[in-house]
Amino acid sequence: MIGLNTLTYLFMALTSVISLIATYLAVLEKDLIRAVVYSALQSTAYTILFYLLMAPDIALVYVPVAVGLYPAVILFLVKKTERIDGELGSVEGDGGK
Amino acid sequence: MDPSLFVNVILYAIPIYLTAFTLYAVRAVKGPTIPDSVLAIDSMSYDLAAFMAILSILFKSPILIAVAIVLALWIFALDIYVAKYLESREMGE
Amino acid sequence: MNVSEELVNQVLMIVGTGMIVVGALADLVASIGMLRFPNFFVRLHAATVGTIWGAFVPLLGAAFFAAGYSELGPYRWFVAGGAVVTAFLILLLGPVGSHALARASYKSRAAVPKPLIYDALSEKLKEGEEK
Repeated sequence: MIGLNTLTYLFMALTSVISLIATYLAVLEKDLIRAVVYSALQSTAYTILFYLLMAPDIALVYVPVAVGLYPAVILFLVKKTERIDGELGSVEGDGGK
Repeated sequence: MDPSLFVNVILYAIPIYLTAFTLYAVRAVKGPTIPDSVLAIDSMSYDLAAFMAILSILFKSPILIAVAIVLALWIFALDIYVAKYLESREMGE
Repeated sequence: MNVSEELVNQVLMIVGTGMIVVGALADLVASIGMLRFPNFFVRLHAATVGTIWGAFVPLLGAAFFAAGYSELGPYRWFVAGGAVVTAFLILLLGPVGSHALARASYKSRAAVPKPLIYDALSEKLKEGEEK
């Protein structure tokens, strides 16, 4: 019989690994929209961590900021500038057209 | 019947949820296109809201249920942002 | 606690446990489908299974379970109400989000509709542009 504590620690380890991978990919990614999506995955993983560490007040503030407002601001910014992070003066990426 | 019997049954269901979250995360990381990743994160978060409701019962701390409502609402906002960005790019804005 | 109340609690807990287990299995099926399906428009089907059977049903199950779980004390109605509110939010928001994403990715050609025999929507869109 597996206890609830063991499962909680397992879930925390799983979300930590997911957030680490998502952060690494978000830092390395050249396509800024994909970077925003990876960042949203990392935010979701951190929400689970705050939840499992019994900090629902922190999670209640973290979710609107990191899942809601931050991707909105970054997407607005990317829409005004260039999508592909690269050398200066490059045209907007074809984006799978 | 004892209530702890039902809690034990739910404890056996938790590893299934964990496996499902792992597979969703693999698709969110791998996803060939952007809508794939967003859809995987979306489904994962809705399932996560359900899982959080179950965990708040198992932990016996009812205040934790509030996180599930907030998470379900704001992940929807992420969906709409990305859809709006993709459509506005098509309009040639 | 009298006998009939305990009976109601047990029935609620049995129904809740069953719905939670069904939700877990549906979640597993949906995530396997999300991983194995070939492209985005096919994966929308797996997202449907994961949203309705994998989130709406276990949330209602959690509400039933909390309503019958007497160890939570009077706060069990708080948990049950929160779970029901989340369930109906997901029932409304999940399909809307999926449809918005599918429409955007079709119109912007971010994902290719691969197993496609006849595309009536593109003809309608062209007609709309000509008018």
